[in-house]
Amino acid sequence: MNQRLEAMRERVRDRVHAACRRADAPDVLGECESLGLSWTRRAARLTRRMCEAEQPVIEADQRIVFTRTMPRIPPIYSAADATRLTAGRTVHELGPISNICASWGRLLSQGLLARRAVATATSARCAGDPAVVEFLAAAVETIDAVLDLARRYSEAARVLGRLELAAILEHVPAHPPRTFHEALQSQRLMHAAVWLSGHYHVGLGRFDQYMWPYLEADLRAGRLDESGAEELLAEFFISLNRDADLHPGVQQGDNGQSLMLGGVTRDGRCGINPLTAMVLRVARDVAMIDPKINLRITKDTDLELLTLAAELTAQGLGFPQYSNDDVVIPALAAHGYELEDARDYTVAACWEFIIPGRGMEVVNIGAVSMPAAVDVAVRAGLAAGETFEAILDRVEVEMREQVDRAVSRYRRLLLPPAPYYSVLMEGCLESGRDLSQGLKYNNFGVHGACSASAADALAAVRKLVFVERLVTPAELIEALDTNFAGHDRLRQKLLEAPKVGNHDDEADDLLVTLFDRFAAACEAAGANGRGGIVRPGSGSAMYYVWLATGHAGMQEPVVGATADGRRAAEYFSANLAPSPGIRAGGPISVLQSFSKLDYRRVCNGGPITLELSDAVFGDGQALRKVALLVRSFATLGCQQLQLNTINVAKLQDAKRHPERHRNLIVRVWGWSGYFCELAEPYQDHVIARHAFDM
Amino acid sequence: MRTGIVFDIREFSIHDGPGLRTTVFLKGCPLRCAWCHNPEGLMAEPQLLDTPSGTRTSGRPYTSAELARQLNRQADLLRTGEGGVTFSGGEPLLQAAFVAEVLDQLEPLHVVLDTSGFGDEAGFCTLAERVDLVYFDLKLMDSGLHRRYTGQGNEPVLRNLKHLAALTTPCVIRVPLVPGITDTEANLSAIAGAAAEVPHLVRVDLLRYNRAAGGKYASCGMEFRPQWDESQPVRPTTHAFDAAGVAVTIC
Repeated sequence: MNQRLEAMRERVRDRVHAACRRADAPDVLGECESLGLSWTRRAARLTRRMCEAEQPVIEADQRIVFTRTMPRIPPIYSAADATRLTAGRTVHELGPISNICASWGRLLSQGLLARRAVATATSARCAGDPAVVEFLAAAVETIDAVLDLARRYSEAARVLGRLELAAILEHVPAHPPRTFHEALQSQRLMHAAVWLSGHYHVGLGRFDQYMWPYLEADLRAGRLDESGAEELLAEFFISLNRDADLHPGVQQGDNGQSLMLGGVTRDGRCGINPLTAMVLRVARDVAMIDPKINLRITKDTDLELLTLAAELTAQGLGFPQYSNDDVVIPALAAHGYELEDARDYTVAACWEFIIPGRGMEVVNIGAVSMPAAVDVAVRAGLAAGETFEAILDRVEVEMREQVDRAVSRYRRLLLPPAPYYSVLMEGCLESGRDLSQGLKYNNFGVHGACSASAADALAAVRKLVFVERLVTPAELIEALDTNFAGHDRLRQKLLEAPKVGNHDDEADDLLVTLFDRFAAACEAAGANGRGGIVRPGSGSAMYYVWLATGHAGMQEPVVGATADGRRAAEYFSANLAPSPGIRAGGPISVLQSFSKLDYRRVCNGGPITLELSDAVFGDGQALRKVALLVRSFATLGCQQLQLNTINVAKLQDAKRHPERHRNLIVRVWGWSGYFCELAEPYQDHVIARHAFDM
Repeated sequence: MRTGIVFDIREFSIHDGPGLRTTVFLKGCPLRCAWCHNPEGLMAEPQLLDTPSGTRTSGRPYTSAELARQLNRQADLLRTGEGGVTFSGGEPLLQAAFVAEVLDQLEPLHVVLDTSGFGDEAGFCTLAERVDLVYFDLKLMDSGLHRRYTGQGNEPVLRNLKHLAALTTPCVIRVPLVPGITDTEANLSAIAGAAAEVPHLVRVDLLRYNRAAGGKYASCGMEFRPQWDESQPVRPTTHAFDAAGVAVTIC
């Protein structure tokens, strides 16, 4: 990071550029109404008017430009019409297409003009199909809008005497980039236009795969050296943070600007290239919340690369998040993904495995509350005097009901047309079909949330009620009903029962059972109505708070006190992690516990979440040891790993004095954010997590 | 079969040897070092700790088979992680026969003995001969000062150091730097001299004073009374070691 970049980063952190933002928004609705436009045309018109309303902002030291000046996305339907339009249908989250990944590689290599030519050709071929013609006209409208935005940026650059920048913007994104610099600028504009169109959780995909050819050509031709490339890359990363506060999410920072590194190529060769390590170095030095780095590894990944990745962890950035190709690719292949596509996976906003350009998947249709399923089953089963095995069967029934509830809601899913996003995907322009009508992969994903607590509860019931008979069913139910008031000794026994995270089969086998039965419930749900299936996952997202306390509009059941000894309203652990407050063996035992899951069946993703104390990094060998820990995650056959570094004292101080810690970054559930911008429950949860020190 | 008292088994213990490593902390120590940061290791018997997050018992008995079984469950990972197991304390020499029995039942693993060197010579030699690396503390070379700050003279430590020098087991000499007490010119020179006599010495580690040393005392019902200025910076000078031709690192 040179002085220019440090100054730029400081300005972005201070949001100096927010002064360019306007309070108004174009009146797209009025125009759409008066012209009586269809939904597809309205969506295109939104992209066009937003692009037109953007005023070029070119700071003197910027070499990669675009700064959003129109923060608000105006409506394209009146509230009443929107209600009518979606009556009886399920709208996913906020409505717009989110949480998918574009085919950035193809887009860059073809340029928008070539995509436009495809659209016109298809339109001529399908002239008799008005729906196709209309969609393609809408797609072309959005392409032209983005090209016009680039043209105006180019003109503004010329007026400022920035001739090199003007020439770049004249060339991209219309044409394929001639240089790494042009590729980054092209991506910046095309990616920003997705946000401008109202979409969110806009992923960046396999960046080192699709960007490397441009960098490699520059390096070969001697147009650019490594430090020049790093400088451009750093500026690109900083630029991704400029508008991050405008991106919608459950919490600030939950914006899905995820980037994948490493892995294999579509034909199965090693995909690691010099850009892989460069991205890690630059992300470490930029040290901002975006982009959120993911690294695909195997048990054979070079320890040097893992050690470099550990440097980011040491910085406390909460990334990279690791996924294990040895496990993920076969799991996707087992769920109907073609091998070439499975090898091409990236992650959605947090951890869900998706295929760039080929998936219109809704990977987070909801959560199964495993603790609620266990709670209902335990109460009913004990009341009926059933065996433990019968209680497990009830758990499956409960999970199946929760899955079915979510899936039946989503069988009525209404995805809005997204002509611009369709331009960026595989096959939409070729077939004349909007991505909302489906792509190659159209699966749903469900989070199997708060699993450790659910397994612990089952383990406690089995041991105390069934095996040792130290607790009667009536006592247990009474204790749960009263939130353990007056039942301290019983609660103590529950707390001392076997817990997930200790490589103890007495608890771990129930975790395995829970996920097997959850997978069975998802399989039983069958086709999802969109030509896809329902993928079970192991993430929690924000449900580790919501399932404990409830949340407005949430469909999932809330649970009170649970048989693992957890009191009502106490938070669960995030994703795959030992329950809060229990004594877990340590990082190795935690990995061993979670390595027992059958990840071939549980393929939606959801990381083992480990917190390390920052004291770990006091040792000169620490980075290498963290790398060895990551390698053992892969050796054990685990699926995904999120490794965070925290300093509890610092977090506590940041709660008291946010002004002193505005740059403090933490991993929240599947993403990194600024600690001081989080709502209190999420702050408290991070502080209360297990931090493994030396 | 013997039973030992263990007060912690810590995985991914970064500071206790090479690679991915799990450290067994054996309870009980004959020394009372004024700077000890692990007071729950002092008393040989299990004890109730009163911590900010509630009371818990520190120290539980393990049979040697039970402990070996638990460690063996991680053996593959520790091996591929270029690491192994460390026996620390407290003072492992106080339970030397128990540790030896655990070693009998341990899968082939890299083992570190992390000791104050204060203990029975036969026990020390048996263990030191069998492990792959010895972490050997040298605190104060002046026996009077050693007695003053640890409660015991250093003669047993120096005797064991001589035994260690006669073995082929590689070793690291570790020196806790306590401001004005162990970090004096005279002490460090004397340690450098002693270290130079150990043929299989890998290096000397100078351990920076742990400012959180007093953190756990209240939980153990004890009082931490440093007889030195905790705010004073330690002087991790290496020239005595450089002069003696001894490799040294500051941790």
